[in-house]
Amino acid sequence: MMALHTREKQTLFLLIVGLLAWLVPGAGHFVLKEKERSIIIFVTIMLTFCVGIYIGSIGVINLYGATPWYVVGAQVMNSPMVLVLGKMTAGGAYPVHGWPNEIGQIYTSTAGLLNLLCIVNAVYLAYLRGIEPARG
Amino acid sequence: MVMDAIFIIATFTEPEKFGTNPQSMLWLLPLVAAIAIIYKATKLPAITAANFIKEAAILFGSIIVFVIIAALTLHAFAWLITG
Repeated sequence: MMALHTREKQTLFLLIVGLLAWLVPGAGHFVLKEKERSIIIFVTIMLTFCVGIYIGSIGVINLYGATPWYVVGAQVMNSPMVLVLGKMTAGGAYPVHGWPNEIGQIYTSTAGLLNLLCIVNAVYLAYLRGIEPARG
Repeated sequence: MVMDAIFIIATFTEPEKFGTNPQSMLWLLPLVAAIAIIYKATKLPAITAANFIKEAAILFGSIIVFVIIAALTLHAFAWLITG
């Protein structure tokens, strides 16, 4: 019974770490007391994302348009804030075409995929720390 | 101060204007730097400034060298096929 409680707590902790890492890039590592890693992750992902929307404007976040689903999926992995940006740009309010659109999409989706790597890494680190005491 | 903030935010609502010239390939460099930094931030067992910068720089250089080799190989193939 006690072991079941511990296992449930650990699963909940892993979910919280994953969710935090998605909400704010680097926050997952921050709650694991990996401050240097979290600062590096936050600054790098935010800069990459901001460069993307600077080049192509916020119009590159086109959740309801002709953008391929895998680009939208990768962009959303940056943070749920991308969904808010997507609401703002819905209906073609910020048109962007050609090379700036492509470069902007490449930057924003790469930032999202890098954040996905960080989310998985934070959850894995949390999992390893959870099983370390059990191993003795 | 407020006007400055508004101007900065406004730059994110209009796309930059640049064409498909060879110089635009340089946009690759910041992206490769981001990939190298994030990869090393997740893989290094301990983060120290000197070691982290060294490792990220080595990975950045390796990716750039690989991209250049791939580009030269593709260029050679295209030259062989099209004459």
